[in-house]
Amino acid sequence: MIDSQNWTPEMLAEFKRRRRGRNYLLLAVLGGFCLLIYAIALVKLHEYGQMW
Amino acid sequence: MSESVFVNSTELGAEARDWIALLKPRVLTLVVFTGAIGLIIAPVHLNPILALTAILCITIAAGAAGAINMWYDRDIDAIMKRTASRPIPAGRIAPGAALAYGIVLSAFSVLLMALATNLVAAFVLAFSIAFYVFVYTIWLKRRTPQNIVIGGAAGAFPAVIGWTAATGSVSLLPVLLFLIAFVWTPPHFWSLSLYASGDYQRAGVPMLPVVKGARHTRWNVFIYTLILVPLTLTPVLFGLMGWIYGVSATVLGVAFIYYAWRVLADRQDEKGISLTKDAPAKAAFRFSILYLFLLFGACAFDRLL
Repeated sequence: MIDSQNWTPEMLAEFKRRRRGRNYLLLAVLGGFCLLIYAIALVKLHEYGQMW
Repeated sequence: MSESVFVNSTELGAEARDWIALLKPRVLTLVVFTGAIGLIIAPVHLNPILALTAILCITIAAGAAGAINMWYDRDIDAIMKRTASRPIPAGRIAPGAALAYGIVLSAFSVLLMALATNLVAAFVLAFSIAFYVFVYTIWLKRRTPQNIVIGGAAGAFPAVIGWTAATGSVSLLPVLLFLIAFVWTPPHFWSLSLYASGDYQRAGVPMLPVVKGARHTRWNVFIYTLILVPLTLTPVLFGLMGWIYGVSATVLGVAFIYYAWRVLADRQDEKGISLTKDAPAKAAFRFSILYLFLLFGACAFDRLL
C-alpha cells in the first residue's frame, strides 16, 4: 500500500514521472502488438489464403 | 532532494527500464543472433515479416524465462554483488509481479510463434522455456556443479527454433548447431565463474570453482574447449557446410584453444588461486562470446554464398 500523503512535492513528481514512463512503454508494446498481428494477418492471408 | 535518492526509492514504483531489465537484455543479443542464424541457414524461405516475428518470439521467450529465473533466484541475487541491484532484490518490482510478467510473456511468445509459423517451432520454444526454468533454475542450479553443463542446453535452443520456424521440422544441421552451443557453454560460463566465484560462494551456489576449486575448473575449461573444436567441424564432415565455414571454424577453434590454454596456464598459488586477477579467464570469457558470434556468422555466410 502506497502512503503518498507523506510525500514531498519532489517525490510526487518523481512518482508521476516513473508512472508516465511505464505507461508510455505499455502504449508502445500494445501499439506494436496490434501492428504485428495486422502484418501477420496480411502475410498469412496473402501467401497462404488462411490464418492457420 | 537529489535524483540519486529517488533511484533507490522503492516506494515510488519501478522505472520502465526495470521491466526491461527483468528480461536480461544483454543475454538476449546472442539469443537473437543464433535464432536468426537458424532461420537464415534453413533451406525454406520464410516471409520476412514472419521471420522477424519468429525472432521476436525467441527474444520474448528468452526474456520471459530470464524474468522467471530472477523471480526464483531473488534470494541469492540479493546476496551477490553482481545481481544485488536487479529490480526484485532492490525492491523496485514485487516478486509476484515479476513471476506473472514472466508467465504471461512465455505464454504470449509460444502462442504468437504458433500463430506466425508452426506448432513444431512453438513446441520447441515452450520446451526451451520449461527447460531453463524447471531443469536449470529450479532443479540443477543450486544442487550440482554440473548445473551449467546440462542447463546450458536451454541456451542452445534458439538456432533449432529458428530452423523449425522456417521448415516445420528438425534435421541434422540444427541438431549439430545445438550441440556446438551446448558444448560451448561450459568453457564460456566457467571462465566467468572463475572470477565471480566469490559471489557464488557467498550465495551458496555450487558452481564448479566453489565446489572443486579453480585449478579443476581451469582443466575443465580446457578439456571442454578441446571437445568443442572438433565438434564444430562435424557440419563440414557431414557435407552440410562448405570450406568458408570449415576454415572459419578451424581458425576460431585454434584461437579458442589458445585462450583456454592461457586459462589453464595462468599463474596461480598452491591453492590454484590466480595471481593475475584471473586476466586469462576474463579474456577467455570475452573471446568465447566473439567466438560464437563469428562461428555462427560463418555458418550463415557459408550458406548464403
